[in-house]
Amino acid sequence: LSEAEHIRAEELELLALGASPEREAAAIQAHVSGCEQCAAKLAEARGNAALLSFAAKQEQAAGTVKAELMARIRANRESEERNAWPRKVQLPPEPIQPQRRARVSWWTWALSAAAVVLALVSFGLSWQNRRITAELQSERHAADRLVHDREQIEKYVGVLAAPDTVTVKLAGMGEAAGASGMVKFNTKAGAVLYAADLPQLPAGRSYQMWLVPKNGAPISAGLLGPGGHAWGSMWTGDVPPNTAAKAFAVTVEPVGGVTQPTGPKVLLGAM
Amino acid sequence: LTPQSTAGETTTDWSLLARIGQKDEEALSALYDRYAGLVFSEAKRILRDAGAAEEILQDLFFQVWRTAEKFDPAKGSLAGWLLVSARNRAISKLRKRSGASEELDENGVAFRVDVESHAAQKVLLDKVRTVMASLPENQRAALECAYFEGMSHAEIAKKTGQPLGTVKTRIRSAMEELKKVLR
Repeated sequence: LSEAEHIRAEELELLALGASPEREAAAIQAHVSGCEQCAAKLAEARGNAALLSFAAKQEQAAGTVKAELMARIRANRESEERNAWPRKVQLPPEPIQPQRRARVSWWTWALSAAAVVLALVSFGLSWQNRRITAELQSERHAADRLVHDREQIEKYVGVLAAPDTVTVKLAGMGEAAGASGMVKFNTKAGAVLYAADLPQLPAGRSYQMWLVPKNGAPISAGLLGPGGHAWGSMWTGDVPPNTAAKAFAVTVEPVGGVTQPTGPKVLLGAM
Repeated sequence: LTPQSTAGETTTDWSLLARIGQKDEEALSALYDRYAGLVFSEAKRILRDAGAAEEILQDLFFQVWRTAEKFDPAKGSLAGWLLVSARNRAISKLRKRSGASEELDENGVAFRVDVESHAAQKVLLDKVRTVMASLPENQRAALECAYFEGMSHAEIAKKTGQPLGTVKTRIRSAMEELKKVLR
């Protein structure tokens, strides 16, 4: 996908419905995040897709769900108020006039109430702690993903921007006859593969890209899928510099890759 | 549709959201009454599990409570966002994906139909059901596989044994019919 081209309405509709494969969805999202026109169209497509929600049989949630929700927001509100800065000054409680006849009963109630409050506070803190830990972990993963995406984009741009980069078209083969691909290859900067409509990989398998040199055995140019270097629907491949290529191919191999192709070819294209 | 309450029926989503931003519990309660049925029904249709659907329902409204001030009206509709977010969360749960929760200011949803009252929701429910019932079986099934089961077009093609292009065409034709309810 080029930044200069807008996404077709049908592709946005499929994405809004959740029918785009993950790789395509990521590439479209990457474009949409920088394109106001496509973002507006995607928002509209999402609204149209949401109409399908009205096709579901209408039912009501249990009444306890709302009660729990309201209790949860009150606990959240109290927690935020407790942690707000500056803290409220806690005034000493008004002296209570002891009532002789009810003295034992009053203390019993006070201790019970204190125990309940402590239990609730403890539960609230523990829940909050779990939530914060989960949020932190999620943020770390998001940051890692951004770094990874940036590296891939830099590599991608490096290949595409080089004046001596060549294009090799790849055709689908065998069970992947409906797939297609394109390799942008530069003998110094590496290779970038864009693949479309590749079949879903079986468990424990990965796609592997190969450079077939003019002389000698195929050279692995990296993995596509689990363990590979992808950005959206594009993969970057590492090949030895200054290798004269005769063709590019993609095969199905065990996760982690192999040193020489063993599995069926799904894409192939000659220089 | 059986309204849980008619409280706040005449108040717009935006004014409720503004009050929620000020930590007004009554406003959240009214917003919940307005959309809980739709959100729960959608999540239950996907997950076929009332408990899991209720969890999504509660988490979604709790997120509204926590981040109401982030919602940008210019980016779309609150009702649309609730429905799309509930769908995405349910699909993530169904397919055991680690779906990140959407923030209120991201992923705009332009939902161009009024559903701020239960009466308006009822009208739309009837319209959508009529359209869905009028669709050819293969179009309706393709649409439902995508939206309610989270299947990609390639997965639908594999499941139905139809070419990818046919599946895409069916989905597109069905969506064109569905969009007629907006006219």
